[in-house]
Amino acid sequence: MTVVDNVERGAPNARPARTKLSWAWLGVMPFFVFAFAFLLYPSSTIVVGSFRDARTHAFTFKNVLALLSTPYLINAYWLSIKISLITALGGGLFGFLLAYSAIRGGLPRFMRSSLMTFCGVASNFAGVPLAFAFIALLSPSGELTHLLISLGFNPYYHGFTLYTFWGLSLVYMYFQFPLMVLIIAPAIDGLRREWLEAAENLGASSLQYWRYVALPILLPAMLGTMILLFGNAFGAYATAFALTGGQVNLVTIVIGAELTGDVLGDAGLGYALALGMVVVMALAIAGYTLLLRRTERWLR
Amino acid sequence: MTHLALSNISKRFGDNSVVSDFNLDVEKGEFVSFLGPSGCGKTTTLRMVAGFEIPTTGKVILDDADLTNRAPNQRNVGMVFQAYALFPNMTVAQNIGFGLQIRRESAQAIKERVGEMLSLIHLEDRGGSYPYQLSGGQQQRVALARALANRPQVLLLDEPLSALDAKIRVSLRAEIRAIQKKLGITAIYVTHDQEEALSISDRIVVMYDGRIEQVGTPFEIYNFPTTAFVASFVGTLNTTEAEVIDPKAQTLRLEGQQLQAASGLEGKRIGDKTRIAIRPERFNFVSVERKDNVLDCTIENITFLGSVVRVQVALGSQRFFMDTFNNPFLELPRIGSKTQITCSREAVLVLSH
Amino acid sequence: MRRGGQVWAWFWMILGILYFFLPLLATFLFSLRAKLGVLSFQAYEDVFTDPDFIYNFGYSVFWGVLTIIVGILLFVPTAYLIRLRLPQFRSSVEFITLLPFVIPAIVFVFGLVRTFSQPPFLIVDSPALLVAAYTVLAMPYMYRAVDTGLRSIDVRTLTEAAQSLGAGWGTILFRVILPNIRVAILSGAFLSFAIVIGELILAQYLVKPAFAPYLAYLIQQKAYEPAAMAVISFALTWAFLGIIQFVGRGGAQAQIGGGR
Repeated sequence: MTVVDNVERGAPNARPARTKLSWAWLGVMPFFVFAFAFLLYPSSTIVVGSFRDARTHAFTFKNVLALLSTPYLINAYWLSIKISLITALGGGLFGFLLAYSAIRGGLPRFMRSSLMTFCGVASNFAGVPLAFAFIALLSPSGELTHLLISLGFNPYYHGFTLYTFWGLSLVYMYFQFPLMVLIIAPAIDGLRREWLEAAENLGASSLQYWRYVALPILLPAMLGTMILLFGNAFGAYATAFALTGGQVNLVTIVIGAELTGDVLGDAGLGYALALGMVVVMALAIAGYTLLLRRTERWLR
Repeated sequence: MTHLALSNISKRFGDNSVVSDFNLDVEKGEFVSFLGPSGCGKTTTLRMVAGFEIPTTGKVILDDADLTNRAPNQRNVGMVFQAYALFPNMTVAQNIGFGLQIRRESAQAIKERVGEMLSLIHLEDRGGSYPYQLSGGQQQRVALARALANRPQVLLLDEPLSALDAKIRVSLRAEIRAIQKKLGITAIYVTHDQEEALSISDRIVVMYDGRIEQVGTPFEIYNFPTTAFVASFVGTLNTTEAEVIDPKAQTLRLEGQQLQAASGLEGKRIGDKTRIAIRPERFNFVSVERKDNVLDCTIENITFLGSVVRVQVALGSQRFFMDTFNNPFLELPRIGSKTQITCSREAVLVLSH
Repeated sequence: MRRGGQVWAWFWMILGILYFFLPLLATFLFSLRAKLGVLSFQAYEDVFTDPDFIYNFGYSVFWGVLTIIVGILLFVPTAYLIRLRLPQFRSSVEFITLLPFVIPAIVFVFGLVRTFSQPPFLIVDSPALLVAAYTVLAMPYMYRAVDTGLRSIDVRTLTEAAQSLGAGWGTILFRVILPNIRVAILSGAFLSFAIVIGELILAQYLVKPAFAPYLAYLIQQKAYEPAAMAVISFALTWAFLGIIQFVGRGGAQAQIGGGR
């Protein structure tokens, strides 16, 4: 909008364009101030703090080096990445199968909308209540455990326990797979029936249809969701804490412990840990973008 | 020699009968159209040949092999879909070669065949494009090539031109017909557009409400429709009810005037009401030529359609359309004036129901 | 999927149903076992008469409502102005609102705490920090919801119509725009609320009263009351979602939120 425009319009209370623009600028100022104060600046301190000696405030690499040379911390990253990958893939796969079954599996119609509703709720049911729900189910005094015991089978005698890596993975899946269902459903809708028929008509078996047509078409959406799931699991804190009391050595747990109790003994190390998480997420997103580009060549 | 036989085919969904009493023998290399309004069962019948629906009764026999219960991916019939159905994640060449790839033909054989098909549809340089980069007409040609690449015994086309605009439709249908003739492949073509069916078919099967109304060449269907539906669906038609005066002499009374038919009144009694139909183009002004029947009427409206002039006349309480060729030197009567129109006795079609 | 495929469809569906419902069922059953040998609602009674629960849960609700209000006051005008007048800021604003997606919550909380627990910004004891933090955590969802809502109404025309009738900016925003994006805001509010209720680490660190830390603490202490609380929180989620579905009658949008 130029000054000339405004004047020519002859609008009744025409203020010069400059004032109008500055009102708008003023209107968005609170947002930017807020974002700077409570998001951008604190986030930047993560970067700064990682490369700064906690006591002398001098620039240094020692925090990063310390992190990379502490097996306990490297292991934390490894564990976090592991659980994120596993639950992203597992939850993604299960969610996909569920969505496909509901949409194209020949099931009664109401099952699809029910599934969507449940998934909408389930994807938000995370954190402490979820952890407790699984405790109520599978802890040594849990309902299912009691049921199994009464049937003669005690899973705890066979090495099962809820409060470990695998137990936690099971719990994580609870909010992972609904997310996949919700996001992949429209993509499955987009799988036109004619593609299946055309493939069959040209001699393809069910498997060949999936391999050459359906999966390639669904791949971009699935990849995108899996990255989301990865980030979801990677950043999860409350669920892990509530379930294992801080015993499973995830990065989020370590950072949380460092925050509340300074367990690492060196403030700078905490920053480096946090920065490490951001680096992992950034790498994941970069990897996803690369993969996406390759599988998306044929998309409009 | 019958190449494809559909015998006693019917299809029911619960209580709903979608196709019934369908019998058809198709010769090798013949181009047959299924013509009818939406919901008449033409697409369902086609899909039964393709294997996407299983007939409730009846058999589909191709070249002496009973296909009725065979899976759709084992039939060797090629299908062209209304919505093209090209695989969006594959290039044109990959789409066309898909069937051959499934059959595990050698890369060399696939490349050659794809090349052949691309020249057949005149898209030699688009092999590397993706479907979204092509126009609708181009996509449909690729779909055709994809179906033909597999060397199917029968080509099935499900309203392939409905999604395209008028100009492309006309040129593409001619192309489809030319390719079909060149390859000598048996083809079944489903459409609701009677002009399409008339212009490219060897035979037309007119369907209504799940049943066959009439089977015949385009000439037969148009000029000698046997039912009121066929007569009204194909081409424009004047239909009305007339009273039988003399069944043997084939005379009728219409709005107080006498009408002479050539045949069709056998078995009727004096006084019977019967449906008759006359094509608009069979009428003419008496001043131009005089034929068996002469009818007094009043001009109600004249519409200039380009090569044809459509004259709407009132015959008592009946309204008739008369089409005459545009003649710049023929002076047309004025609206409201009385005139006489004429038609031959053969032009009066007596309809069976 | 045909014929045999349908068997698989039922298989996955049943598996999904089991996986979804068993934990809920177990929680509910567990919550009924407070009285020895009898199924009763004793645990629920205990919860509702527990002053600590009311205190902590009440505060969480309070933080949640504050977060929603701050979110509306902050994001609605911003999204509105960006859409209407300042499209050049669109990408930077989108980047900002997506940052909390990329930066895990705990990392951000870490940075926040470290920044504001040292002079000159020593506000670490103030509830304002808590609400501000929650607002940032909820920002991707709240802002997105508002933006989506604005996208579906013709902002420009509505504004011009209101202006021609003499309305000032405040009136336009709060009496014209806001009511028309009610459903979108409701869905954003739901997600914000879920985040606030579920957030653990910040509330723990700041030692402020909140539901999640209280529940976590209680799990170590008692057995049946946490079960009842979990059931209550789940029922609340359902109810809130139901309200949104009812008011909005809209399509399924992927809803992801809540403290994890």
